[in-house]
Amino acid sequence: MITKIRIRGYRIYKDFVLYPNPQLNILVGDNDAGKSTFMEAISLCLNGRIGGRGVLEELNPYWFNADLVSEFVAQRNAGRKPALPEILIELYLQDRDDLQVLCGAINVDVPTIACPGVFLRIYPNDEYQDMLDEWLKDPSALLPVEYYICEWRTFADKELTKRPRALSVATIDSRTVKSSTTVDYHLRQILNDHLEVPEKAEISLGFRNIKASMTEGALAPVNGRLLTLEASLQAEPLALAMDQTSRTSWSSVVTPHVDGLPFAMAGHGQQAAIKISLAMKRHSEKVTIVMIEEPENHLSHTSLTTLLDRIQALATVDQQLFISTHSAYVLNRLGLDALHLLNRNNVSRITELDPSTVRYFQRLPGYDTLRLVLAKKVVLVEGPSDEIIFERVYSDLFSRRPMADGIDVISMRGLALARCLELCASINKPVAAMRDNDGVEPEDLRESVKSWLDGMSRELFIGSVPDGRTLEPQLITANGEAHLREVLKITAAANLETWMAREKTEGALRIANSKKVFTPPEYMQAAAEFIHNA
Amino acid sequence: MPNHLALAVAGGRKTQSLIEHCQSLSAERRVAIITFTQNNQQEIRHRLAAQAGDRHNLEVLGWYRFLLHHFAKPFLRFKFPKLRVRGFDYEGRPFRMAKGKDRFMNRSHELYSCELGRLSAELMGTTSALLRRLECLYDEILIDEVQDLSGYDWEILDALLESRIEVRMVGDMRQAVLSTNPRGQKNKQYGYAAALKWFKDREASGLLDITYKTKTYRCRPEIATFSDSIFHSSWGFPSTTSENTMVTGHDGVFLIHSQHVNQYVERFQPQCLRHSMASAKQLSLNFMNYKASKGSTFERVLIAPTAKIETFLKKNVHLETTSAAAFYVAVTRAKQSLGIILDHPGASELPIWVP
Repeated sequence: MITKIRIRGYRIYKDFVLYPNPQLNILVGDNDAGKSTFMEAISLCLNGRIGGRGVLEELNPYWFNADLVSEFVAQRNAGRKPALPEILIELYLQDRDDLQVLCGAINVDVPTIACPGVFLRIYPNDEYQDMLDEWLKDPSALLPVEYYICEWRTFADKELTKRPRALSVATIDSRTVKSSTTVDYHLRQILNDHLEVPEKAEISLGFRNIKASMTEGALAPVNGRLLTLEASLQAEPLALAMDQTSRTSWSSVVTPHVDGLPFAMAGHGQQAAIKISLAMKRHSEKVTIVMIEEPENHLSHTSLTTLLDRIQALATVDQQLFISTHSAYVLNRLGLDALHLLNRNNVSRITELDPSTVRYFQRLPGYDTLRLVLAKKVVLVEGPSDEIIFERVYSDLFSRRPMADGIDVISMRGLALARCLELCASINKPVAAMRDNDGVEPEDLRESVKSWLDGMSRELFIGSVPDGRTLEPQLITANGEAHLREVLKITAAANLETWMAREKTEGALRIANSKKVFTPPEYMQAAAEFIHNA
Repeated sequence: MPNHLALAVAGGRKTQSLIEHCQSLSAERRVAIITFTQNNQQEIRHRLAAQAGDRHNLEVLGWYRFLLHHFAKPFLRFKFPKLRVRGFDYEGRPFRMAKGKDRFMNRSHELYSCELGRLSAELMGTTSALLRRLECLYDEILIDEVQDLSGYDWEILDALLESRIEVRMVGDMRQAVLSTNPRGQKNKQYGYAAALKWFKDREASGLLDITYKTKTYRCRPEIATFSDSIFHSSWGFPSTTSENTMVTGHDGVFLIHSQHVNQYVERFQPQCLRHSMASAKQLSLNFMNYKASKGSTFERVLIAPTAKIETFLKKNVHLETTSAAAFYVAVTRAKQSLGIILDHPGASELPIWVP
């Protein structure tokens, strides 16, 4: 189990540390927030390879953090002598007995600590110092990666040549479209890890025997004829035989089939589901790290539900899951408390969310918690008409739409305000919430949620009881009946309050589109000002 | 803490007892077998392969390698937070007054072999993670030629004895000819035969049980008795008994006059041993040094004595410990016969060989 991940100088990560949960980790963030890079870094450090290929084969200048590189170039050009940029990925592991072979203090933590772990470092090779010196005379952002070297070691400073035995890692990547004929590297690795050693030995032996029988069977008559051909230099016998070298081992030929179809021909959703099952359902006591990228891709809503059920059913204490997602549904279903919000070089996580709140959103997985998590600031309103009116109020006040200031206005649509406020508090999100008073004194309503409010970045705004029980009478009070009739373009024949109560959204839209002056209810204006300044 | 020490005489099948112990273990048991010389490691690997079969949980390693891989490399940063071990400097020595990292490593950050024990012992004191790691890696640690430990090595051994790891040692206090730190002063009192006292103290506190194996399967009784005489009785070593009853017509210990040496060599083809390159220069024989002969067995041995050994033979003046240990090693290489080149026997009662 990984207890800490440090990434320095790799792609968008300048100097990044994340402390994962022991079991479930859900990574959310905007596009470009570094979710894939993060998983790639873990996989790189656990496998010492990337996509099945050696690090130095794949290394290119774009692996290095662009900020660090440009800083380096600028310093160089200014006549200073900074060291060439390096890449460091460190995985700190749980202090378990079976991982002690990886234990040591060769990590960059200060003060010095000893724990099991592995690191991968890419740095300039001083054997090429003369070439590097030459390059440094005219440095550019394209680092001379051909003079770089990679070391992959345990925290005990022991070089690794392959993934440590006690660890297994599976990457389930549903984004990339793989070649339709071959089994990709990740699947082969998953399959290889899933099978027990005796099973693998059995398959290997069986495959050898089949190849041998082919040589003795179908190839025998051909070889009889080839004998008479005298094709070789000294008339040594020429024959066809099945290749028994290790390059042609069973793993490249034996592939999973789904309902009689080769794996690669199965649907992407099916592929992802099978990979997840193979990776997670294992018998041995290895520490298993499973990384799943955007499971919602290629899946219908029903299949996604099935898949999430399976992930939950297969999860054990020996497995650590990293799941990246853009789906609030995935997030809610698997548990909001496992969330890590990635934002380039930073990460924030949910702290101290009440388990009952986690269960609340698990039961209501359709709710867009992710919007709430990703927004810079949040305004919570009761329904769509409040949402539309608030947008107008905000634009009138600040001549900009709320979204332009990173403020997402979200309707709760019957969701409990307390749960939403708790979630905002747990991720330290600025929020202004509004609700109808429904004839109850605002102070009394505030009482039940006040533990989530701080008056600085989280506050609740409610209109006073005499100004009206709901939004519509509040609007009438603020603008006067006559003016509002004009704004809404309703004839004197209709009862304003009845019409507004019936045509809530229509009324809100008319107000939003009206060119006439509109006076917001006091509490709404206060909410707009609050969130603007929060 | 069931730790064991077997003190055996030369030719007492010490190493073989470790091999046999390995044979008896279940394949799951993770064992490190530690020795002090390259030759010995090769020998043990060879014997294990032949006698204990294919056991991937048995690891044969030298003492330096043991300290380097399990003490110095993983935990160096507890003493020197920014540094890493970049290699091993076998020959180099720190300046006498060197402090800090210069005490332990050269400029390329390669560790001095002679200070590795001290560094390891100090690192062990800085973090409990070190011993915990070892306890998880090995169920048992077997140490061959345990008498060759020196200086800070004893502190490390002490910690191992108190750990969860079962430690099994074999050694011969009379053979302490190699020292892992040629200049180390630490624990000098344990340096040679006094190590025996150290072990007895541990036995008294219940950390260890000691068994004595006084039977030699190699040396003829005459040679065994002679080898006992090298050490003064005040050491309290038990006397050696011999299981070698082979008779070849030339068995036992003999003095040989230098004018008969060539005839003797021609006739018996003994392995010739000398103290070092610098000794016995007047003789052009195919010599091996005393220390280098450690662990070997020869049918017949011919020794070119040092001046001090000559004095011991002629006047029965006992050698100081290091010389005695080296001479003991040389003497006990022989199975059937031991010749010593000496022109004037003095008070020696050894038979004189004449052609």
